[in-house]
Amino acid sequence: MEMGGYYLTALFCEACRALLERALEGGFNFLDAVIAPEACAMMNRCVENIEHLNCCTKPKFFASYCDVPMKSDEVTLKHYVLQMQEHVLKPLHEHYGIDISDQAIRQAVEDQNKISRLITEIGDYRKLEQPRITGYEFAVFCLASYCCPKDLLIPMLEETAEELKTRKPEPLGTYRARVALVGSEVDDPMLLKLAEESGVIVVADRYCFGSLPGRQEIVLQPDEDALTQVCRYYMTSGQCPRFLTTEKVDERHAYVDKIAKEYHADGLIIEQIKFCDYWDYGRALMNATMQHEYGYPTLSIDRPYNVGESSGQIRTRIQAFVESLEIKTIERKEREAK
Amino acid sequence: MGKELNSVELGKLNKPGKRTYTHREWRGWKDTFYDFSRWLHNLKVMSKFILKPTSLKALFTYRWFGNYLAAFDYIDRHMEGVRGPQLRIGHIEYDSIVEHLTQTMDTLFKCDKRIGNKHGKYDALNKKLVIMDENGMMVIATGFPNLKFLSKEVPSVYTGSTIAQDGVLHYIDVSEEFQIPSDVCPMPCAELGVAIDEDYPICGVCSVHCNTTCDGSLMGNQIEDRHDDLPSFTMAAPMRHQQQSVLAYSRDQVVAAIHFIEEHTGEKWNWDAFAKNMKVYNAQNKVFDEWLEINKTDFPQVCGNNLMLYRDAEYMVISGRDATFLKQDEEILRLAKEGYQHKVKVAKEMRHRALVWGVHAQYYTAFNQWLANCWGIVVLCDMLSFTLTKPIHYEDHEQAMLDLGEYNMNMIMRNHSNGGYEVGVEQLWQYCEEYRADTVIMYEHIGCKSMAGYHGLIEEEGRKRGLHIIWVYHALMNPTKASRKDMREDVNRYMKTVMRETPLDPTLVDMDDTTRW
Repeated sequence: MEMGGYYLTALFCEACRALLERALEGGFNFLDAVIAPEACAMMNRCVENIEHLNCCTKPKFFASYCDVPMKSDEVTLKHYVLQMQEHVLKPLHEHYGIDISDQAIRQAVEDQNKISRLITEIGDYRKLEQPRITGYEFAVFCLASYCCPKDLLIPMLEETAEELKTRKPEPLGTYRARVALVGSEVDDPMLLKLAEESGVIVVADRYCFGSLPGRQEIVLQPDEDALTQVCRYYMTSGQCPRFLTTEKVDERHAYVDKIAKEYHADGLIIEQIKFCDYWDYGRALMNATMQHEYGYPTLSIDRPYNVGESSGQIRTRIQAFVESLEIKTIERKEREAK
Repeated sequence: MGKELNSVELGKLNKPGKRTYTHREWRGWKDTFYDFSRWLHNLKVMSKFILKPTSLKALFTYRWFGNYLAAFDYIDRHMEGVRGPQLRIGHIEYDSIVEHLTQTMDTLFKCDKRIGNKHGKYDALNKKLVIMDENGMMVIATGFPNLKFLSKEVPSVYTGSTIAQDGVLHYIDVSEEFQIPSDVCPMPCAELGVAIDEDYPICGVCSVHCNTTCDGSLMGNQIEDRHDDLPSFTMAAPMRHQQQSVLAYSRDQVVAAIHFIEEHTGEKWNWDAFAKNMKVYNAQNKVFDEWLEINKTDFPQVCGNNLMLYRDAEYMVISGRDATFLKQDEEILRLAKEGYQHKVKVAKEMRHRALVWGVHAQYYTAFNQWLANCWGIVVLCDMLSFTLTKPIHYEDHEQAMLDLGEYNMNMIMRNHSNGGYEVGVEQLWQYCEEYRADTVIMYEHIGCKSMAGYHGLIEEEGRKRGLHIIWVYHALMNPTKASRKDMREDVNRYMKTVMRETPLDPTLVDMDDTTRW
């Protein structure tokens, strides 16, 4: 990340630095456009650098920046829809002639729903006492669903879903604790692999590029335009810390509680990528809230972008967390026995 | 030693290990007398304030209030080496801030349930008090003449950290104990620390939060809001404030905030009061433009960080609600014009015409003064002072709300640190041309991710334009990460090795002021 570090400084989000580095190397020359929602300043700076350093060389390449909601209400929805029209749909149509009609959006949603249904079906196996799929395996599928062409991915997901119906799970005791992984963006499933090698199984994924939320079906009604409905869905279901009203902050914590219960998690790993302003605060607050208000055992970590398999420090912390969860389980059983 | 610029070896006024100057600066009879008379004036204002029972009680209640003991040293630091019109302009600016701040704190302490309002003595006043986020534009207060709008963070964190360099370190520690990483911007971090430490006055009838200035700030607000037992409204100002498509939403947010305030205070938005205040505000902005026009000439007059601190208060906090600020602006303009006519120099030698870009260090707001005294680098204007000055259309009510929406998005700093490449980078080059600047003092506030994202682009583009870009590293409110001395060293190194220049005042090059206020 040397060049990325030069342009963006060493205290910048490592994911953004890595993306810019890749762009400078020519790794994104295949791109026709970059659409940057103004969700986080650092990602926007990254895209601005990609644009102004002319990293993408396709003749019709363009970068577009759009405001995204920070609140969840009808006034904001109107703004959100306008932003999507002006800074996403129109430029795509003008540059590449992409069909942006209501009918086309409905079709795209239906295609996306197929993926979401399959991902949900696969992910639901994590709720079982003996999950038929590990957190790492699921994260690979889920990540692919964010970046692979849908038509190519659907047959593979269907095949996997079929296989899972009869897959023999690992015996009980293989994993010593069930956890929900919560926090900032994880685009490297090796973090989950590392966690699972340390004794936990990740049964719920509430992080950016995870499936909770993000891979649920969007149900469209016929009496309202599709774009508004899609925007409303993302605005109301979004759990990004950029949503700053107290109701949304509380909702964020309640949602973690809900999925932890649904997926039978023994504890929470609350993680953040280093230098992420949103999760710097979001993690601290969530850690305090989930521990003191909801009573969950938590492990709170800030981690480098590229965790890899060799991160001894994180492995040690997760192992210690597993032990603490086991001790808590033993103590609880003793209390119940009395 | 006397009335001429650089006639005093200023570095010798500083003694390692001491909190303040060894003695006051001799500026010649006339200027010394004037400076001392202002010192006495401030002493009177502050004595009157501190001797109030509420203030005395606050001194023993709030840790941050102790910072104000250094207020005199703070003003002296910003007047270092200053003479003539600049001394008078500086005092008008600082003295008005002192008076305004004492009034702010007086109201806060009166309404505070821990202090003045413990037994309901100031209930009536408290019911008229709306708590505004420090980063919120007070333009939304201009139509409520019967209400008071105050920020708790300004006296406790913002000003406190400029007055005493170690003023908010304790609160940063508190936040870090809460697991906030140490790489975040110290401002929201310290503000959160005050909330966690329960060191904000408990007062007000409702509060307005916002997402300005930045990602860190809006996140800090989320947690602070939980510590505040008041009904609150959150204004979400669009980030891409240069795009026409966001203006309507920004207006909607302002309108919703006004409705919220009406609902919780029982007051109604008053268009007449709004028009009256906006006339003042527009006039202030016009005068401000005139100052800057003078700064573009060979004899700039309203320079340095004094400009920024005053503009910050006037643009964001006063917002036309106090007409005495306009009178002061006009007096500053008169002095500036006079100085220009007499070709008054603001430094012994103006070797470099500079602009400051990025965010200044709160613990070293007097840095610009040092630049002029030590190296003849005259700061003509800075990123934070480049604010909107376009008139607000108070007669056309629909347009007025759109204008307020635009101002609300363009709070100080945010109008350049957010909003995109055009305002974050390109505008700097435009300003450099307008001001004929050959140097940019580029602050690298190590917790400010927004500006850090332009580091490489600014360096490359600056090089292409033949500008001297001097990077100065700091940590906003945390001098333990990059001290004042470290900041000076960034400039010293550049001036000695790249520019091969000798200092105007060698005693200022290497001095130890680690323990200074």
